[in-house]
Amino acid sequence: MTASPALSAERLSKRYGSRTAVDAVSLQLTRGAIHGLLGPNGAGKTTMLRMLLGLVRPDAGTVQVDGAVLGQDVPRGRRGVAGFVDAPSFYPYLTASRNLELLSAWDGAASHARVEELLDLVGLAGRAQSKVRGFSTGMRQRLGLAAALISDPAVIIVDEPTSGLDPAGVRDVHALLLAMAASGRTVLLSSHDLDEVERLCTDVTVLRHGSVVYSGGIQALRAQTGRRMWRLQTSDNDQALLLDHPHVVIEPGAGGALQVAASQSDFDDLLLALAARRVVVRELSREELSFETLYFQLTGDSLPSAAEEPAWP
Amino acid sequence: MALDLVSTPTRDPDSPRHPLVQTYQWELEKLSAQFRTRAAVVVALLGPLLFGVGLSVSSNVPADTLFGRWVGDSGYAIPLVVLGFAGSWGFPLLTCLVAGDIFSAEDHYGTWTSILTRSISRRGVFTGKVLAAATYAVVVLVLLTLSSLATGVLLVGHQSLIGLSGNVVSPGPAAGLVLASWAVALPGVLVSASLGVVLSVLSRNSLAGIVGPTVAGLVFQLLLLVPGLGPVRAVLPNASFIAWHGLWADPTFTGPVLTATLADLVYVAVFLGVAWWSFHRRDIAAS
Repeated sequence: MTASPALSAERLSKRYGSRTAVDAVSLQLTRGAIHGLLGPNGAGKTTMLRMLLGLVRPDAGTVQVDGAVLGQDVPRGRRGVAGFVDAPSFYPYLTASRNLELLSAWDGAASHARVEELLDLVGLAGRAQSKVRGFSTGMRQRLGLAAALISDPAVIIVDEPTSGLDPAGVRDVHALLLAMAASGRTVLLSSHDLDEVERLCTDVTVLRHGSVVYSGGIQALRAQTGRRMWRLQTSDNDQALLLDHPHVVIEPGAGGALQVAASQSDFDDLLLALAARRVVVRELSREELSFETLYFQLTGDSLPSAAEEPAWP
Repeated sequence: MALDLVSTPTRDPDSPRHPLVQTYQWELEKLSAQFRTRAAVVVALLGPLLFGVGLSVSSNVPADTLFGRWVGDSGYAIPLVVLGFAGSWGFPLLTCLVAGDIFSAEDHYGTWTSILTRSISRRGVFTGKVLAAATYAVVVLVLLTLSSLATGVLLVGHQSLIGLSGNVVSPGPAAGLVLASWAVALPGVLVSASLGVVLSVLSRNSLAGIVGPTVAGLVFQLLLLVPGLGPVRAVLPNASFIAWHGLWADPTFTGPVLTATLADLVYVAVFLGVAWWSFHRRDIAAS
């Protein structure tokens, strides 16, 4: 029996004037998992997050939490959904502690001890009585995480939670998100950091131009593409690059090698074509398609080749 | 960063209050933490005193204002002169320092995304903010009333005052009529606050919320002077700032007070209704 999703969005749509920001996007968050939401700028991620958090009214579609359909007027915090989108913002003239107490009051379920506990959790216990106007971006991110955790939500939605954090802060936030998932909470993580998503998430949803281009497991995505990556060293790379095959991508790679993305049969065709032109393959190795490569294939962008990488003067 | 997962939150046993009450109290705390609010309260407290001191050291009296010629003869004239000035621009400016900013400040700080993802509804947030703005407006009115009355009595004395029909109002009833006159202005003050709220919601800009009602107050003041408006004058948003005049006639007439109060209630309902409609439907699409 499949467990019901912690949060389910069905065909959410949002238009701003003539522009469709989100077009019939569906999303299911598995309980106790970290789900990545990816896409290039303008893909509709932020609008999607805002609709899930109740900040933006969808033109169509529904959001369900634990099977109950949420109207736009139902505060998400009351249904166990919390988080932040964009950089979390606070009252600069109040202290970190008072800011959290204020938000606690709006959740109606927190105590001063809880605020202290959360500030300690995100490493801001020593700055509890400092006014937020003096906080760095990283400190505001930490405070944002603490604010999201006030009501101990079952579903937490975070947008670029490690933006502005130093490496130790990034490590701590990753550990916190993993610990939350391990304790049964569900996390929706929106991030441009593909390494971060690959490290933390089991499932991802990739948006492009407001529509879903993939939703599912990362490993399933690798299996689904059927494409593989090879690294080739030939006797005449220039001539190899001239080969025109509709289903094979050949690009200059690092160290003077060629990087080839193709299915097994297309790659076999490529080798035969090279042999016909008397181009000898001197080195050949197969590589796992990186998540980054898969992402760029899904979003229609290409990876920068080694030849295109800017060189320092 | 400690990595122990958080425990289940519990309601603070010392504050088992309704979220709306907590929202209201927090709005008041936020207001009291801002310099602008404190400055306005100081102006409401000290403004009449400075005005009275200025009159006492000056050889001239504001004879062209209602009761202005009596400011050196009765301590009860000063609060009425202050009320006249406050009605034209003081109330709109002082009340909208808060009301005109109370919603747009969240846009300025980008905090809507923090507030509207909590457990309280938009209705609760709206109600808490409107109640806080109204509370502040009433506090400003009360401070101005008490400060101007105390200034008049302390600097000039506890004398009888000549009414608008030439009638003599003895000190005790004069004190009561001064308080009643200021009370009549309350609905007009709430109209100014409501106008500030709706401009704050619609414009998302504090300057518009503060300056707009002040300019509108001056425009309405000019409209009161336009001849031929007839019954329209009685239902202008600032009619309650002059409706108290009838209390100082002999015999007194209270019809304008009732009319202005009813009109002001309609204005408040319309302004707050528009503000709620806009706030309720708003997409928080950008910080």
